[in-house]
Parts: sequence; C-alpha cells; structure tokens
Amino acid sequence: MLLNRQSSGERWRARPDGPGKVTGALAYLTDRTAPDMLIGRVLRSPHPHAAILAIHAEKARALPGVHAVLTYRDVPGLNGYGIAVQDQPVLCVDRVRYVGDAVAAVAADTDAIADQALSLIEVEYRLLPIVESPAAALADGAPLLHGDGNILHRTDYKRGDVDVAFASCTHIVEEVYDSPRQMHTYMETEGGLFVPEKDGRLTVHSPTQHGFMDRLQLSRITGMPEERIRILSSPIGGSFGGKDELNVQPYGALLALKTNRPVKIHNSRKESVRAGLKRHPMVIAMKTGIDANGAILAHQVKITADTGPYATLGAEVLNFATEHALGPYRYGSVEVDSVSVYTNNGMSGEFRGFGGNQAIFALEGQMDRLADACGMDPWDFRLRNMRESDAPGPFGQPIAPTNGAKQAWDALEASSLWQERRQNESAATVLRSESSGGMKAPWLKTGIGAAFIMHGSGLGVGIPDPGGGRIKLAPDGKIEVQFGYEECGQGLLASLELMLIEQFGFAPEDLRLVIGDTDVVPNSGSTTASRATTMMWKSLQRLRPGFQKELLAAAAALLGLPEELLRLGRGGIWNSRAIGENRGNRGREADVEYADLAAAAGDMAGIDISGIADTGSGNAACKHGADVDVTEDTEERLLLTYRALAGKTPRPIVAETSFAFPASPFPRTGAHYLYTFAAVAVKAEVNTLTGRVRVLEQYHAVAAGPVVNPQGYLGQIEGGSIMALGYALTEEALMQQGQYATSNLDTYLIPTIADAAGEMAIEPIEELPEGDNYGPRGIGEIGSVGLAPAILAAVHDATGKRLNRLPIDPLQLAERPAFT
Amino acid sequence: MKKQSDLQPAPSSVFHCTVNGEDVQLRLPADKRLLAIIREDMELTGTKRSCEIGRCGACMVLIDGKPVNACLTMAYQCSGKAITTIEGLARPESLHPVQQAFLDEGGYQCGYCTPGMIISVTALLEDIPNPSEGEIEEALSGNLCRCTGYGGIVRAVKRAIDQRRERP
Ligand code: FES
Ligand code: FES
Repeated sequence: MLLNRQSSGERWRARPDGPGKVTGALAYLTDRTAPDMLIGRVLRSPHPHAAILAIHAEKARALPGVHAVLTYRDVPGLNGYGIAVQDQPVLCVDRVRYVGDAVAAVAADTDAIADQALSLIEVEYRLLPIVESPAAALADGAPLLHGDGNILHRTDYKRGDVDVAFASCTHIVEEVYDSPRQMHTYMETEGGLFVPEKDGRLTVHSPTQHGFMDRLQLSRITGMPEERIRILSSPIGGSFGGKDELNVQPYGALLALKTNRPVKIHNSRKESVRAGLKRHPMVIAMKTGIDANGAILAHQVKITADTGPYATLGAEVLNFATEHALGPYRYGSVEVDSVSVYTNNGMSGEFRGFGGNQAIFALEGQMDRLADACGMDPWDFRLRNMRESDAPGPFGQPIAPTNGAKQAWDALEASSLWQERRQNESAATVLRSESSGGMKAPWLKTGIGAAFIMHGSGLGVGIPDPGGGRIKLAPDGKIEVQFGYEECGQGLLASLELMLIEQFGFAPEDLRLVIGDTDVVPNSGSTTASRATTMMWKSLQRLRPGFQKELLAAAAALLGLPEELLRLGRGGIWNSRAIGENRGNRGREADVEYADLAAAAGDMAGIDISGIADTGSGNAACKHGADVDVTEDTEERLLLTYRALAGKTPRPIVAETSFAFPASPFPRTGAHYLYTFAAVAVKAEVNTLTGRVRVLEQYHAVAAGPVVNPQGYLGQIEGGSIMALGYALTEEALMQQGQYATSNLDTYLIPTIADAAGEMAIEPIEELPEGDNYGPRGIGEIGSVGLAPAILAAVHDATGKRLNRLPIDPLQLAERPAFT
Repeated sequence: MKKQSDLQPAPSSVFHCTVNGEDVQLRLPADKRLLAIIREDMELTGTKRSCEIGRCGACMVLIDGKPVNACLTMAYQCSGKAITTIEGLARPESLHPVQQAFLDEGGYQCGYCTPGMIISVTALLEDIPNPSEGEIEEALSGNLCRCTGYGGIVRAVKRAIDQRRERP
C-alpha cells in the first residue's frame, strides 16, 4: 500500500515540534543570544597548502572592541579534533592544509569589529605545492601532507580468485565511475552560543548529532573535565551528517572561556562552504564478469576516495563504501581494494548514506551494463544474481536473516512504472518518446530505469554502538522520557511521541520529551547511521514492562485495587476493560466499591474521574460514581491521574535501559548486521537539445520493517530522494587548485521546487521475518541513495547512452539537431 | 585590507515603519540590512539567515504584502512600509491558514526554511487564490528546502488552496 496521509489514518499526526516551526517561535541554537554577548569569528587560511612562518595578532588585539584574539598558543588542551582521529588542528601551528584551516579566532563587541580584527591579523605564509587530487597525492615524490604520508586508510576484501574467474567469463564489463563532492547544504549554517557560567562551567548551545561526543572533544581541547561542560544540541536546522563532527564549537568555547563572556558564532554561508564537510568524491573502478547465463563470476573493485586534509570519519566512510560496493548480489569471487587519500581539497566526511551512495551508483551502473552485455532485462538480471534470504552479508558476515531484497524486487516489478517499461520493451517501438509519452517534441526522449539498494544500519562491528534511554514519572506528573538523540528535522520527537502513545497508551499531553542536553539525558550514542529510531523503539520495548509494572503497582497500592485491574492510559491510571470479565476468577477480595475509590481520590490533588469524554467511550457514568461497583463495570474510567500518582508515590518511579546496537559476531571492523533494502524506479525525460534531464515520476519500495511514523517516513524518503536528484543532476562543489569554485547557493545548485516536480510514490514493505525482534529499521539514509543510479538507467533507456559520471554533464546528452 | 575610510558606518537616521502592525521607529544606518534589523534589533528570530544573497528565501518577509528577501533589503527601503514577518501571521487564538496547512500536511522537517516558505505561500495565495502548478513552482522557486524534497510543501500549499476555496 502506498504511504500517504490517507493510508496512514490516525497515525498521521501533527509533530510536537510543528507549532514552533510553522510560527517561527521555535528558537534554534543559532537564534539564541545572551546579555553582554560577544561575536566570535574565525580567521581561515586563504591558501590550500602553506607553511605558517609567523602570526602577528598585536594590531587586532589593540583594536577597541576586541576582547580576545586566539592563536594556537591559546589552546589549553589538545590542539586537535576529530571523532575518530584527532588530527585536525583547532588552530594551526606551522602549516595549513586547506582553505578552511583555522589560524586565529576573535571575539569582539560587534560583527563589524570582529571582521576588522580578522583583517588586522597578519599571517606570514610560505606557499607549498598543492596536492590537488588523490592521483597527485599517490604519485611518486608527492608532497607529504602528514607525517606518515598521504594515505588515511586502506582496506580490502577478497574471496576466491577473481583472475582465475575472469578467464572463464563470457562477458566482462569494465567501467570507472566518478562521483562529485556534494555539499550537505543544511539551511542553518553552523553556529551556536557559548556561555561561561557563574560556577565555572561552560554551556554550549550548538547543533551536533552526538552531544556527548562534542562534550568529550571539547573537554580534550579546553582541558576542562567533561562534567563541567554542558552541551545543548537540539533543535537543528538540518545536518545530514554534516554537523556530527565539531565545526565552530572549539572557537566558541575557547573564546567564551578566555573572555568570560557569552560568545556567539554563526557562520556565513561562504564560511560554511569553505570550512564544512562534503561527501567524499570517489573514483570507483569496477570490472565484473558473468557467464553465458548471466551469473556473476567475478567482481573486482578499486575505490579511491578524496578525503581532504584531515581524517574525521574518512576511514569509516571508506569501510562502508567497500562493503556497499558488493550489495545484494551473489558473486563467484570478489576483490575490493580501497584507499582514502589526503589532499589539499576541502574536508570530506560523514554525509547521509556514508559512502554507500558512491558505491551503489557504481555497482548499479555495473549491473545495467552487464544486463546489456548478456541481453537480459536489467531487473531480471538483478533477480538472477540476488542474494538468498539467509545468505551472509557482503563480507560473508552473519547478518539478521532478511527477505528484504526479494520483497523490494517484487514490489518494484509490480509497480505501474516498471510495468510501463516492460510494455515499452515488448512494444519494441523505435521511438520511445512516442511510445511512452504520446506525441512530443522529437528532441524530448523519455526512459524508465531502476536501481536496487542494500544499506547497512548501525555503526558496524568493532565501533562502540551504545543505545538506551530513560523514562520516569516526574514530580509534576509528566511522563518524562529522556534520550540522547537529536532532532535534526527528521521527526525524531514525533516518532518518539507516537511510539509512547501506541506502546504505553499515554496521551501527548502526558509526555515531556527531553533530548539534546548532556546534563540530563543518558548517553545513548550518536544520531547517525539510521540507528536512532531502532534504538528508541528497542529502548521502549525494554523499558515498558518494568516501568508499567512499577506505575501500576504504585497505583494499585494507592487505590487498594489489584494491579491486574489497572492499565496505563490517557491522563493516568485506568481500570482495565477486563475487570468485569475476569471477576469470577478473582473472587470477592478484588471488589472495591467505587465510593472508596472516590473517597481515596478526594484527598489527592489532581485526580480526575470526569472529563474523559474524549476517550470515545462516551462515558458519563462517573458522576454516579458512588453507586457504581468498578469491578462490576466493563466501562473504562480514569481512576488516578499521573500527577496524583506522582504526588503520592513514596519514591521516584524511573526505568532506564542501555544496550548495544545489534552487531555481527564477526571480526571485521564496520561490517553490518542489520540491512535495509530499497528499489527505485524513475521515469526521466532527456531534452537532447539542451542535454537537460527532468524527472517525471518516481517509485520507491523500502523494506525497513514497520513504519514507526508515517509522516516522518514519507518525509525521509522524499527528502532523501530529492537530495539524490541534486547529486545526479546539478550538485558539485568543484575545486580548482584547492580553492572552491563555488561559494554560495547561487552557484551550488540544490534542487528547487520546480526541479523536484513530478509524482513520487512510496511503498513501505513492513513485514519482517518471523521472530525478528530487532524492530523497525532506520530509513534516514536509504532514500538518498537509489535515485541517482536509477536516473542514469532511465537516461540510457531514453537515449541509449551510458554515463559514468555524476552529476550528469548535459554536454554528454546534447545532440546536434537533425532537421529532416 | 580595508581602508580606514571604508570602515566608517553609514550615518544613522530614523526610520519609521510598521512591523507586524506595530509602529516602529529605529535609528539605524541607512544601509543596515532588514534581516539584521529584524533578527538582532527587534529580536524576531523566526526570519532566518542562510545565504544572504537572495537565493534561498529563508529570510522572506512581506513588505506591503509582497514577498521580499530581507537579506537584500536595506533600512531606507523600509521607510514608511508595512513589514510582516512570520511572527505576524498567526492570530493569538489560531494559526494562519497557511501555517495550519503546513502543520497538517507535515510540510516541514528541520523547519529552518519554513517561515520563509510560509511567507511566500501566503503572498502567492493573496495574489493568486487558485494558482496552477506552474504558478506554485514559480512563486516558490526562490525558497530552498533541503529536507523535505518539497513533497510535503506542495501538499500543504494545495491544502491551503482547497481550504481557502471552501471558506466563504
Ligand atoms: S538569507 Fe536571504 S535569501 Fe537566503
Ligand atoms: S525543512 Fe529543513 S530546510 Fe526545509
């Protein structure tokens, strides 16, 4: 069933953070200010590669209105950061390696003064040769960007002998796939407010996907104990992986501590482009061979990633790409060799899809070419080579059994879009534009293509992947739920609220959802890798029995009723519908006169035995309470509010859980255990006069288990897909000689509403294998993967041209018009 | 490097306008950007800052009912004008119908583009109560959203149109 508002019924709800967002009342962290606040700015290197000979900050320091000018000498702790490896200098000492490298930081009364102060800092540089590309970095005699060379990380995987296998292949396809430097382009640029507190602590209001990681990193840099730092990290105006790593936080923190004044930093878009992370450009060479029946015998992959000047998560992204270059297919033999290389280009790092987008673009291109080679339909070819439901993962690792591949394949096969393509095929019309679009301008050609995606969730083997959360009855009677996950816009709060309503029976107004505050929430790991929804679901599953039992036991004691007669509901504790029915078994001691209840209730502030008309039961009987024997009654009633319960219970009622994301028992770092599958079909139109491609229609099947939150699910797939549209058609942060050729949204083109036009159908496949209790899989990333390769397939269907580079270059599709 | 003369702020003058119906008098340099005036001087942070070159629409406000990028507008251009920001749309007791439509359809995710988007939709529907798809695309192509893929936004716009039609 297609997912939309109608098919979701009552599960389609206004998000708890919605009113603040549509009214503008919600203050983002970059909207916050404090009295006496200073403005912080960072001086960044103008050169992609240079030695620093001297930094003269005296003039800037002397400027009236300037309160601090910091250089590397002013970093009290570790002058380095990075989630995995701390090799990125907070403030550069003797060398800069990219145009975003920070050399000094300033705090001043106003932005204009801060700006002037930056211009007064004189830095003497000696230019060094620029390492422009991975190829240049790997060449003999290349300048070394780090002490141990230009290679951040190498990884490989081998099964069987591909050379032997290639010898017996009937067809071999070799291709090199080139993918661009894509920018996250979160609408809210990096920034925050940094407040030194009276007691010497530091409060950081700044978006991140993992508050506790920021706390750890800032503790290293400032030398302050972690507990002295408080990170407030939600709401976030978009992140997509780009704000997981530190950005402005070290400068804000150091400036605030130095001046003992609140400091605000909010990057301009230009600075965000220059300093921020991008998706790794990768060059992926694939050689794949099949036998006469279309079975893949050998698959050889070489991945080269441009990771830029520092590590951040470059190694982890490469591991992920290596795994995902294999995908949901069976191979006789496999060999992958991957390398992530330092250059003087911009920083590459974590980005939605995490290396899977590049790998799957290449892999799916390969599948289409192989199908061509053996004359098979491309979708049939994928089925021919598809993994079995109980097959191990790409690295041969044990994974949770899944039939997702076949489910997604079947769904796409049955889709009207793919059926249309099948009909086009069999009609064998010469002019596809006529067959599928009626009479059209002859330079407009339409085609339909598809792609298949297998995407891992969680961080994988060997990487700490904690999860957990806390639920309690707060003193004011709210059910307070605390998680260390962040609201980046994905709808985390809405998903959490809906789960609490559905699993526990609470109403929205009973709840207080607490996230994004390291002083309060448990450390439940990062909000990345499509893991937060799964973790919250699992946490609630684990929390529910204990918490529910404690609440009911406390209520039972107060009410003098057996626990079994009670249940959680809107507003408080209700009598269970089963009371009357079960009465015979329980005997007389279970009987409590309603009058007793009412009397017991009388001295409890907040008890409410009326006003429950909105439960739908139309129950008006409560006012006759004194006459009613609750045990005789199958009507449901609210007996005790949560507030009354909180006021009366002798000790706090709290439940907490922590556990690890399911991982494969397998000795290979990063190998995944849970996988999500998707299939994407797209109809695209190529204008052969201009070479421009327009997407007309999309179909997405996503096999990720139950839909937790329909609105969020739809939004994630739609939003991810349009991000992939940009990846396929327009987005590239080009670099020339280590400088960004684009600095703002006038030349870096993300899709507009006009580009994103066209129908999009989304079909969730909710069924999981029997006995699977890993719960719903995250879908935050998978939607951003498949559209790009599917568009390339559609372009081929329309024009007969196979392209191997993203974004599509219109020049490759434009044809000289023939007027006959 | 900047010359000292470049650094002198433009002389301040007094500007009168209304913001969300209230008379406002501000002593400001004539070239101060409306975006900064709204966000910093008036502390109305619903209007967002993103590209500052007029490309993204996060800063969209209404000036005399027309959608304008506040990042490109200078103080002197606001003199005598009626400015409406996102904070000025809702009534105390109810959301503006366009806001309600965005809430109902989930026409937002991170919400950072949302105030600007809602301002643009409001202006569109005042101008063309029953716009075609093409007119919607044209009116909103100056408002970038990175999260939603525009699906929820288009549904919200259509809902707002339908509800407008149903209202007498
Ligand atoms: S901030 Fe004004 S248009 Fe982008
Ligand atoms: S909702 Fe995030 S940019 Fe539109």
